[in-house]
Amino acid sequence: MKNVYHNRFFAMGTRFHALLPGMDDDTAERVFYLMKDEVLRIEKKLSRFLPDSDISRLNKHAKEKPVIVDDEIFDILNACRFCWQLTDGAFDLTLRPLMDFWKNQPQSNAEVDEFAQLKKNLGLQHVNVDDEKKSVQFSNNQIEIDLGGFGKGYALEKIGELLSDSSVESAFISFGESSVLAAGNHPAGDSWKIGMNDYLNPGKSIHEFRVSGGSVSTSSNFFVADNGMLKNHRHVIDPKTGEPIEQLRSVSVCSESPLLAEMLSTAFLVLPEEKIEDIKEQYDNLEVISVDYESGEAIVKTFEELQTE
Amino acid sequence: MYIDRRKFLEMTAALAGSSLLTTTMPWFSVFNNPAPVGRGASDRVRIGVIGVGSRGRALLLNLKELEESLNLEIAAVCDTYEPHYERAIELTDGKAEAFFDYREMIEKVELDGVVIASPLHEHAHQTINCMKAGIDVFCEKAMARHLDDVKDMYDAYKETGKIMLIGHQRLFNPIYLEAMERLERGEIGPITMLRAWWHRNTDWVFYRGTGGRGTELDRKRNWRFYDEYSAGMITELGSHHFQVANWVLDERPLSVMGSGSINHFTDGREVYDNFALIFEYPEDIHFTYDCITSNKHNGMQVQVLGNDGTLELESNMQFEEFPDDPPAIQDLIEDIQEGENDAIPIGGATWIPNAPIRLGGDYISPDYAMNDTLLYIEGFINFIRKGSAPEKLTNEGYWASIWTLLAEEATKTGKVVTMPDKYKI
Repeated sequence: MKNVYHNRFFAMGTRFHALLPGMDDDTAERVFYLMKDEVLRIEKKLSRFLPDSDISRLNKHAKEKPVIVDDEIFDILNACRFCWQLTDGAFDLTLRPLMDFWKNQPQSNAEVDEFAQLKKNLGLQHVNVDDEKKSVQFSNNQIEIDLGGFGKGYALEKIGELLSDSSVESAFISFGESSVLAAGNHPAGDSWKIGMNDYLNPGKSIHEFRVSGGSVSTSSNFFVADNGMLKNHRHVIDPKTGEPIEQLRSVSVCSESPLLAEMLSTAFLVLPEEKIEDIKEQYDNLEVISVDYESGEAIVKTFEELQTE
Repeated sequence: MYIDRRKFLEMTAALAGSSLLTTTMPWFSVFNNPAPVGRGASDRVRIGVIGVGSRGRALLLNLKELEESLNLEIAAVCDTYEPHYERAIELTDGKAEAFFDYREMIEKVELDGVVIASPLHEHAHQTINCMKAGIDVFCEKAMARHLDDVKDMYDAYKETGKIMLIGHQRLFNPIYLEAMERLERGEIGPITMLRAWWHRNTDWVFYRGTGGRGTELDRKRNWRFYDEYSAGMITELGSHHFQVANWVLDERPLSVMGSGSINHFTDGREVYDNFALIFEYPEDIHFTYDCITSNKHNGMQVQVLGNDGTLELESNMQFEEFPDDPPAIQDLIEDIQEGENDAIPIGGATWIPNAPIRLGGDYISPDYAMNDTLLYIEGFINFIRKGSAPEKLTNEGYWASIWTLLAEEATKTGKVVTMPDKYKI
């Protein structure tokens, strides 16, 4: 029987599971704890829930004055800006106040005014980055940066580097199930076959990605409750309308880069199909599926027709 | 200082009648069942403060914060050091009578209680004399410099029937209250080890310009450095966490071993700048403790290690050992073990736990910004009005102080130290 090291921990509001096949347990354990340290380091830096994180500091002070950020945060903000431009603003990490607004099911006229104000003030165009000074300033006091749709992919990007630096040939990492990294090949040979769970028929795959050294990220506007029910969390805002996506749907993106997969899956949840196909064309080996659960069964759309191979 | 009083009272009210508030931490029920506060001058609780150095000043400010709401009066202050004596007068706007000698203070001023924050070696006679004069006592930790003094204080407490509380303020910390509840519910499984440490990078010199170690002024001001007055970080820092260990396990150690040295701050101080201890508790549980003043990377922590989880009491965090597996992961593991490669439905929407989890763990209590020293002082004033305090609260101070000094003995003798029968209570 082939050896496989399995360990896990909590981070970023979910669970991180690592499978390291074909290694002796002591070596695998060392690699596992390097991964854990790295993930927690990133969380400590990026979490908006932790008052001492770099992002919290930015959210607190950048409304008043330029805040100097370190190289890592600077690079992260640039990556976000790149994806924001690539997706015509669909990937936008400033929309948290709108999510909070919709969570409260607004009714009154006063709230309609508040909505108009938020819609006007939110958006990455209001985050000003000074490339020379490496400083960041917000142009209004409603802006808040939330790296929720970024952190897990970023962590897996770093984990991928760490695994390759540690000469790990094969590994399977699941970060909350929605961000998966499959390093190298499956130990039985061939690529990893990553099935997408059908929530209406749990345990069945609605699609299968074949991954050798790559990642699958899923974004959805629902969480999976412990009883298996899907629940719209109103956390996905269409930046064009400022309103949450009401239909229960998910998008999965498979790409070599976990970070790209993470950012694009977030954006594709709100983008029209033509735009998705347009972006897909710009990248080799990018696979995309979208799943519509609204009708009571999973309707899968694959974006295969434009694949080059 | 910020206290979310409402949430705190909700928390203690919710626990009313639980075994936690009847046996583990009975003193917390005082907040939901406070002594009635009469508003007249004759209802005023009159407090004296003995020792107004760094800790004494903090305690005095806490007392001042409660003056109005609890109808208390800082009636007298005392310090043998002139600048502190002057400062005490200033801090009380000249309203408190000031003394250099506490004996004179308790003779001349009618007091209900005293707060003692003098150097460690002064605690015993001050506490005993105050209780014998009919005054309730809140004394800073640790209790005394010598084991026999600790026992004498305890005996005087029993004889006089006065209140004697020792300032291990974690006893009044809501995080610890919540943590105890979680432990009682078995949330981290059976406790198998405790680890704690206090690491700082500081020369620990409280007063500069004393002429250096060994001068008369330095012995008086930087008393923590001198064996005659203090066991250094063992009594001044470790004592807090030794109390926590006893409390968490609801036991006293069976033995302690340890070692210490001065390896960095070789400035003439007589107390260790680093030490390490192992306490053995019943049921084969060990508590390790280490302390250093030349590196601060690890900061301060108390970890309670259980088979299913970990509590980090000083950072208010709880960690679970094993998150549940995603449904398909066992299938994937079996596949790998058997050399098969099937498609496994392992990807999908983000899994979220029932309770929010941050930084690999979850807060023990959301109300972490509370000032436990202030709550302790508030408790003390209430107990004075009620005429008694829970005996367990005094005993916590006693056992922590006894085992603090036994730990010191272990480091000095290199032996495994157990408690002599004469200190049993």
